[in-house]
Amino acid sequence: MNERAANGRRASVLAGLREFLYGMTGHEFARHAVATRASLETLFMVTCVGDMIGLPVMPPYYSLRLLPFVVPEIATWKRRVLRERQFSDEHDFELHGV
Amino acid sequence: MATQTHGEAPARTARTPALAVGESLAQFFSKHPERRYVMFGGKGGLGKTTFSAATGYWLAQHGKRVLVFSVDPQASLSDIFQMDIFGKGPVKVMDNLWAQEIDADRHIREYQDEVRAKILDMYGLDKVPDEIEDYIAAASAEPAMEESAIFDSVVDILSEGDYDYYVYDLVPLGHALYYLSMAKVYDEWIGKITHLREEMREYEEVAARMRRQKEMAEDQILGELQYIRTRINAASRILTDREKTAFFFVVIPEQMILLDTRKAAELFARFEVPVAGYIVNRVLPPELADDRAPAYLRNRIEMQRGQLAEIDRGFGKTVLARIPELERDVTGLPMIERVAELMYGDGASP
Ligand SMILES: Nc1ncnc2c1ncn2[C@@H]1O[C@H](COP(=O)(O)OP(=O)(O)OP(=O)(O)O)[C@@H](O)[C@H]1O
Ligand SMILES: [Mg+2]
Repeated sequence: MNERAANGRRASVLAGLREFLYGMTGHEFARHAVATRASLETLFMVTCVGDMIGLPVMPPYYSLRLLPFVVPEIATWKRRVLRERQFSDEHDFELHGV
Repeated sequence: MATQTHGEAPARTARTPALAVGESLAQFFSKHPERRYVMFGGKGGLGKTTFSAATGYWLAQHGKRVLVFSVDPQASLSDIFQMDIFGKGPVKVMDNLWAQEIDADRHIREYQDEVRAKILDMYGLDKVPDEIEDYIAAASAEPAMEESAIFDSVVDILSEGDYDYYVYDLVPLGHALYYLSMAKVYDEWIGKITHLREEMREYEEVAARMRRQKEMAEDQILGELQYIRTRINAASRILTDREKTAFFFVVIPEQMILLDTRKAAELFARFEVPVAGYIVNRVLPPELADDRAPAYLRNRIEMQRGQLAEIDRGFGKTVLARIPELERDVTGLPMIERVAELMYGDGASP
């Protein structure tokens, strides 16, 4: 029930976003999508291989299954997350919205 | 057949008083032929392996093809069947009966190698990058790695074999409960990650369309996530399937054990493990308590009497058998046969 509510909320946020983006130029639109995609990527990496930076989320047996697919992202991702972490030391890493 | 080797054992222990119950273990199997995943759970050392072996023996004797398997690194099936079976796949013990002990460490090592091979193949490398290698090592050192690897191999065993019955000599309760509780959490997580991945894909699609790029290849990660989810669910279903699973709690007539068992049973109920019944082990025959018996023995029998009454009050008709204390450890087929007779020797057949 909770999850469904959350999914519903997310869906409507997405729909709203799409409407908003409609008003943008194609270029802005694409850039925004790429940026959003990048931050989702960070979140995704945290959930898959978060134990690399001390945030275990997936059962390790199965995170190994996903590892081959995220190999290229690992280097840049780790650097990005650790950099962001230094900036916001008092705001602990946010996982709640996932 | 095996009966003549009973020579060295004293006369059969006198029967314990009849139970105030309706159903016996044998009747349970005869009434529920579809419950083919049989498990014995309970605190350490109470008799799970003994009852698993005896149940396998009895079912096999009645013409059912049975696999008794264990994930216990102590190799306790090797001990009880007096055969070296650890890590050897299903080994035939007698007609219709196979035993298997999973070598979880080896399973994990082989799995790591598969992951490495996949990485080399996907990116055309000849060496796994150090950073990735470190990660594989760190992930494999976590205790949760062993739990999830074990349950994953149990899924393989149950889905690949073609036995009539699978008797799962269960690791102590804590492990099963740990896995069940984690399975729910993991399932939710994976649901969320899958959703996140789908969202990422949507954005990527938008970006690709705006940039007039070609259609994306199918997202393999989504496929993996779905696969992982089915595995985790299959593993917890093994423990919670009402139609196919028969879970028996093993207890002994001792206060601490009964308290712990009651707590565990409550947790199991919360995770919807269908408990089929209780088996009381190591019951001292009350007729030993005559005047010539040493005081400590009379006291123990007296204490057990109280606990047995407690068990009947607490578990009532779900107590399916009482097994007496035997004069020696249960190892080898003749002793296993004897336990099977004590558990199931009342006429009904599976
Ligand atoms: N009724 C009995 N009479 C005498 N010995 C018994 C009886 N039941 C079990 N035993 C012995 O008690 C010991 C422990 O039994 P078993 O190995 O079956 O317990 P377990 O629950 O599988 O233990 P673990 O939790 O370590 O796997 C064994 O040596 C077994 O032979
Ligand atoms: Mg055992």
